[in-house]
Amino acid sequence: MHKTFTDDPIRLVGEDGRKIGRWGLDLSETLLRDIYRDMVRARVLDEKLVMLLRQGKTSFYAQCSGQEGVQVGAAYAINRGQDWVYPYYRDQGLALALGVPVLELIGQSLGKMADPNKARQMPQHFGSVERHVVTVSSSIASQVPPAAGTAIAQKLLGLREMTLVTFGDGATSEGDWHAGLNFGGVYGAPIVYLCENNSYAISVGYRGQTAARTVAQKAQAYGMPGYRVDGQDALAVYSVVKEAADRARDGGGPSLVEALTYRYGSHSSSDDDSVYRSREEVAKWRARDPIMHYAQFLRLEGLADEAWEGAVRAEAVTEIDAAAVSAEAAPSAPIESLFEDVYAELTPTLRGQLERARIEARQRAGDPGRRA
Amino acid sequence: MTMTLPAVGASPATETLSFIGAITRALVEEMARDERVVTFGEDVGARGGVFLATAGLQSRFGPKRVLDTPLCEGGIIGMAVGMAVRGLRPVAEIQFADYIFPGFDQIVSQAAKLRYRSGGQFTAPIVIRTPSGGGVRGGHHHSQSPEALFVHTPGLKVVMPSTPQDALGLLKAAIRDEDPVLFFEPKRLYRSVKAEVPTGNDLVVPIGKAVTRREGRDLTLVSYGATMIDTLRAADALAESGVQAEVIDLRSLAPWDEEAVLASVARTGRLVVIAEAPRACSVASEVAATVAELALDVLQAPPARVTGYDTPYPYAFDKEYLPGVNRILTAAQRVLDY
Repeated sequence: MHKTFTDDPIRLVGEDGRKIGRWGLDLSETLLRDIYRDMVRARVLDEKLVMLLRQGKTSFYAQCSGQEGVQVGAAYAINRGQDWVYPYYRDQGLALALGVPVLELIGQSLGKMADPNKARQMPQHFGSVERHVVTVSSSIASQVPPAAGTAIAQKLLGLREMTLVTFGDGATSEGDWHAGLNFGGVYGAPIVYLCENNSYAISVGYRGQTAARTVAQKAQAYGMPGYRVDGQDALAVYSVVKEAADRARDGGGPSLVEALTYRYGSHSSSDDDSVYRSREEVAKWRARDPIMHYAQFLRLEGLADEAWEGAVRAEAVTEIDAAAVSAEAAPSAPIESLFEDVYAELTPTLRGQLERARIEARQRAGDPGRRA
Repeated sequence: MTMTLPAVGASPATETLSFIGAITRALVEEMARDERVVTFGEDVGARGGVFLATAGLQSRFGPKRVLDTPLCEGGIIGMAVGMAVRGLRPVAEIQFADYIFPGFDQIVSQAAKLRYRSGGQFTAPIVIRTPSGGGVRGGHHHSQSPEALFVHTPGLKVVMPSTPQDALGLLKAAIRDEDPVLFFEPKRLYRSVKAEVPTGNDLVVPIGKAVTRREGRDLTLVSYGATMIDTLRAADALAESGVQAEVIDLRSLAPWDEEAVLASVARTGRLVVIAEAPRACSVASEVAATVAELALDVLQAPPARVTGYDTPYPYAFDKEYLPGVNRILTAAQRVLDY
């Protein structure tokens, strides 16, 4: 059992890569290596999408680099494909580790039909019904009340499932965040609220969001346990989220987990972080890189060496390059897709607008120089 | 004990239903038909709702299907969306339409867009029931008609019945619909209108279809919700002076029945739209604009709108603010004399 409401973040692995204290985790070597592999895949995917952006193939990107420890650790802590997940927009690592195919993630960012979300949103607003990952909405914290609703339904229906919802530190200021935690608390819903506290909501720092010393302490007000965990320690995140998720599934109610982490990049490709944070601060966090830290642990456990790590990275690069090629070659959305899925069926008005749009699309295709 | 069976060919049995009674009956019938249907909101459980729409439901269906919620509209609507994602068919009550705004982001960003943004992978088949409209001395926080805000949001269906039978049939249709439906209940009709409604029937009224309440060849009056009452009274008054007005009850505002309105205007050549919501960017404006755009060649006069004023809903001026028979007749006369 992890301690609640600690000032110091919960850690399982020290800065030197050594296990801390009495070791309670019993993970197979395969699983330990898989966690590493997915963190590397997330990092490589991030690099690839930055490249695609620079090549002008996407319009926008918000990197997850630096937050892989939280995202992959949390993904492995739940029953992947059975439990339900409401991610936020920086959760590419979470999506990958939950089994969302890379082809879909890149296809989504490129606006191609390789994405089951049909190119309806800007980059990295992924979702997969097959993996129970509810499609991301840009609107900050708006996923928190629906996540509580899903968890309440799981409880009312007597399902052996839980819901994981993630958000950044900025989201905790929104009214919907309060609504979502309060409802989870009142109904004792099987949900874990996971805050990826990277200290910034675009440019405004944590102290600009709340006078509360920690996010975790807010759990007290909603009648649930709150945990503060080192987000750069994937196994600590895994262990805390797993305890909370298992308890939720067993009828023990909700938990709030605050994972302290950092994003290496600017908020997005439209942001310049040098205006609001020092290079020294970024360098300090880069020195606590979750992948490096975890590799050190694996090496001490005799589960990794330089050659294996190199092979893992090379495999990830091959996989993601191939997926990018396939995604680029995937078809773009047809004009019909503009009008479909507004409702289950086209309304008479939308049918009329579709007819008009088809004519205009044909005119444009026939005479690209003319404005339809 | 004797039982009376209806004779073959006799008209089916009916019951007298108030508007609010029709809402309750629709909920009971749908909850009995489909165990995925759940309903919740502020005071909805033991209290049965402040207007008693859910009276008796919790004792009949249990606290797992009829739930009291915290006082938080964003939470209520978000909860509905999330429950629908996991397979339930939630009917959320917002106590007054005037208090729907804390839940506006959940309606606009989540419910309305979930199907679209996920390419149809996730959907939000929810119903949001809410009492709206004035005439109850409620001032501006118990009287507003905000339906146009939702009609303006793609992905939502919006209905507002004006009779007990339509309240029953449209609520049943809304609960069965695969898309989110905003179900506005004109609260001044709750106990002021009653109707004989057949019992034991599965009376579902399709969303998107208007109904002609009165046929006529001289003028088309289009309305919906509580202003239907004064619109029909105005049509009676016109008939006394020899003018036959056709009266259309839209019932559904998104989608709305353009075909029915255009067909009527093609016969009459004259249109007056009546609704109590403020005028700017209203449903009345949309109907008038559509007719002007698509049927100018048959119009013998410019379409007229009789609406609430573009003010906050006034406490002291219920009568002056609401369209009312006299304002409808004035507009009708202007259109007839053009």
